[in-house]
Amino acid sequence: MIAAGVFELGLFWTCCLVVIAGALGAATVRNLFHAVLLLGLSLTGVAGLYLYLDAAYLACVQIVVYVGGVLVLILFATLFSADVMGSVQRAPRWLVATGLLAAAIAAGVATRIAQDALRTVSRGTAGPAHGVDAIGGPGPGIGELLLGPWLVPFLCAGVLLTVALIGAVATVKRFRRSPGARHG
Amino acid sequence: MVELGPDGLTGYLVAAAVLFVAGVFAAVARRNAIGVLIGIELMLNAAALQFTAYGRIHAATGDVQGQTAGVFVVVVAAAEAVVALALLFAVYRSAHDIDLEKTRELHS
Repeated sequence: MIAAGVFELGLFWTCCLVVIAGALGAATVRNLFHAVLLLGLSLTGVAGLYLYLDAAYLACVQIVVYVGGVLVLILFATLFSADVMGSVQRAPRWLVATGLLAAAIAAGVATRIAQDALRTVSRGTAGPAHGVDAIGGPGPGIGELLLGPWLVPFLCAGVLLTVALIGAVATVKRFRRSPGARHG
Repeated sequence: MVELGPDGLTGYLVAAAVLFVAGVFAAVARRNAIGVLIGIELMLNAAALQFTAYGRIHAATGDVQGQTAGVFVVVVAAAEAVVALALLFAVYRSAHDIDLEKTRELHS
């Protein structure tokens, strides 16, 4: 049990270290492509911290929406920027190190999930013993909160997303016509 | 109650503070628009992490409002990223550069 505690503590501090190192790197690295990759590292570390906070749902949202959605969008936009790929080819060791670290974090998060699953199986109940996770527990879950006391903010978030979507489309469409108008 | 480790608050707060500081630095010091966007994302993540960390104080009573606030932060971040990248796309289409120092297209 002591070994498991030390392992868990080490994993926690590894997550903290990854969050901090990724954030500092994303803020300071000159190469923009590397900065976006380091941002992904930091976001993944934050997802690991969410797991330690018994916020399994939020960790999943972080991975799916942030790392899977927003980060890919930013990477896509990064490729617009000039001279990004040239400097990447000059320093491939950075990419290898970043990839290795990301893989290590993914392995750590997976191990943590597996630990929880094993504990759940051996106890025969769902959820951590001491706390509450997002899916079940003594109090109302996130879904009940969203449709109860948080209903107005929830609806506002929906309106916000719709407006953002329409605004994005309108912005891109309007600027597409303007070069033709200027040249014509 | 200063407790280091996954059951205390300190580690999360230190991580969130560094996230926020790095985000502010990136948003201020970067000249590229994507760098500024990275900074904003870092700051939003710091806020969500703090919401969740402080919200766990009430975890014994089954209160998950901190996590719910974190979900809202993620929603806002997604909407913000979509609008920002649409703007970038539009500026790039007209100016062929997204350097904030050089781009003056939206000023006039």
